[in-house]
Amino acid sequence: MIRLNLVLLLAVMLSAMYLVHTQYSSRRLVTEMHRAEAEARKLEVERESLEVERRSQATPARVQRLAREKLQMRSPNPATTQYVTYAGAVLPVHESVTKPPGASFAKAAQGSRPASGSGVAR
Amino acid sequence: MSGQALQLSPSPLLASKTPPWRSKFIVAALALGFVGLAARAAYVQVIGNAFFQRQGEVRFARELPLPASRGRILDRNGLILASSVPAFGIWAIPEDVERDSAKLRKLAKLLGLPAAELNNKLADEDKTFVWLARQVDDATAREITQLGIKGVYQRQEYKRQYPEGEAIAHVVGFTDVEEKGIDGMELFFNQRLAGKPGSRRVIKDRLGRVVEDVGEAVPPQDGRDVQLSIDSKVQFFAYQRLRDAVKEHKARAGSVVVLDSQTGEVLALANYPSYQPGNRKNLSGENLRNRALTDTFEPGSTMKPFTVALALETNRVKPTTPIQTAPGKIQITGSTISDAHPHGVLTVEEIIQKSSNVGTVKLAMQMDRREMWEIFSQAGFGQRPQIEFKGAVPGRLRPYKSWRPVEQATMSYGYGLSASLFQMARSYTVWAHDGQIVPATLLRHAEPAVGVQVVSPKTAEAMRKMLHMAAGPGGTGAKAQTMGYSVGGKSGTAHKQVGKSYASNKYRSWFTGLAPIDKPRIVVAVMIDEPSNGQYYGGLVAAPVFSEVVQQTLRFMGVPPDQTVRPQIVAQTVEESF
Repeated sequence: MIRLNLVLLLAVMLSAMYLVHTQYSSRRLVTEMHRAEAEARKLEVERESLEVERRSQATPARVQRLAREKLQMRSPNPATTQYVTYAGAVLPVHESVTKPPGASFAKAAQGSRPASGSGVAR
Repeated sequence: MSGQALQLSPSPLLASKTPPWRSKFIVAALALGFVGLAARAAYVQVIGNAFFQRQGEVRFARELPLPASRGRILDRNGLILASSVPAFGIWAIPEDVERDSAKLRKLAKLLGLPAAELNNKLADEDKTFVWLARQVDDATAREITQLGIKGVYQRQEYKRQYPEGEAIAHVVGFTDVEEKGIDGMELFFNQRLAGKPGSRRVIKDRLGRVVEDVGEAVPPQDGRDVQLSIDSKVQFFAYQRLRDAVKEHKARAGSVVVLDSQTGEVLALANYPSYQPGNRKNLSGENLRNRALTDTFEPGSTMKPFTVALALETNRVKPTTPIQTAPGKIQITGSTISDAHPHGVLTVEEIIQKSSNVGTVKLAMQMDRREMWEIFSQAGFGQRPQIEFKGAVPGRLRPYKSWRPVEQATMSYGYGLSASLFQMARSYTVWAHDGQIVPATLLRHAEPAVGVQVVSPKTAEAMRKMLHMAAGPGGTGAKAQTMGYSVGGKSGTAHKQVGKSYASNKYRSWFTGLAPIDKPRIVVAVMIDEPSNGQYYGGLVAAPVFSEVVQQTLRFMGVPPDQTVRPQIVAQTVEESF
């Protein structure tokens, strides 16, 4: 009888110890999970702020300034643009399109702005 | 038990006989003690349970807020117009702050505060919490940490960033330091953007570390994004052109509105002067006001098409009907209405083209005031625009019953009623959308808008032709023409009202029009307030802005030109390459 009681006592002790252990590790894991969640959130926030930063580096104002000042580019207008449809046909926008239209425009675009040409290539 | 025989003590006290109640008394006292304990246990665990549970929890359970992040504001292409980025709030406990003047001077410099002001904030040692600065950026916060001043702490917070800056400030608006919307979209969609913060209950140990969660956590609902109809490229370009024009003409202010006439979407809405939404120091109402929506003025000549359209619609006249406008003056119940330049016989088309007041009045006097009132209100005049903006004004259009004949006459050419530039732009969708006025919106939506029919498609087409003439050679708005695209529109110039009379040297100039004329895609309205550099006619001040905005907007939208142009590049090649 006493022996059985001792065995049971031991079992209870072990089980109690195990319970303490699991509870401890569960708490530890929960803390770790929250830390990971906070980290995820932090990274998410950082990604967001980097995206904003990227966006503010690419605003129309800045792009225009750099294109104008650094690359010596200028805004196109319909007279310096050749319009094509999805099928590839050229829209008759210009009064006197010399043939072959593609070649002359390409050449014109190359020749007319050497500064911007080299700027883009860089 | 040998003790029985033992003589314990010779004391007579002990030798005396104990009374029999004594042991009973002790048992009873002990029993009472146990009853007391049981009662106390019952009180603590059953009756007063809730109280003790709460008191216990107060000592170790904590409610932690789970902040919801504020949604972003995007343009029609998904580009960020407003977004929250992390920032730091710097606070201090004055009593604990280490008084190291060198360090404090550095801190003041980092925070951008005068040293005296910082000392002032830290002066009151009774306070236990003082904000030193809000929304400090990451780099500065790190440097403050490096200074390592005792008693100065940081708290994580968020800051709104507006990458597009002043170009779109009036539409997007801004928030306060607690991220509450104050103006513009940030205010109108505050609820949607803000989301709902969640919370979790936790048990903390003595050192403040979270031990475990209690119960279910309420997850935060992040704010949703708001996607606007604004195209940031169109917006920037329109703002830039407007700014240049205001500066060139030494004007006080200006506004520009670009509407997609098919969907009713606002592609751009800019005002100058503007402000940097991220840095709102030294702000005045002048900068803050979204003039295009909140300022009204008499629409002037821009109203004439509505009067003429009504005459066409009711078959009173045809576009080619001749009207005698000589001698450039007309008497209405004793008041004289005159043209700036007298014309002879004009056709109805030419009345719009030359912007003849006399011709318009002659048409208007054939009509019933109620008819006129109806077409004006259907076109949105005197009605608060249904737009996602707090503070849009309805303008003024008096009930027709109170119109006197002379007022009916002046209203036919746009005086005696008022409207905002936005209302004027929207009213012109009638011509652009085959006689329907489309509901305008600042939110992106792809489907063509369903409008309310104001005039027949035939009248709208005839009016487009007249507006095209007005913006053509011999018209008042010839400067509105733009390369490659046919445009139509009406210029307006008015003496500004100062008090009860018109100021002789203060003007307001505007231009409202559409393009391309056969299949209109956009309506653009430009207003310049008090141009004071010599020129003040709408056709000279506002029309060039219109021209450039139309050019760029249609280009960004991928609309092919509908007019032939003389290619410049071939000619330039010859000059430059040889």
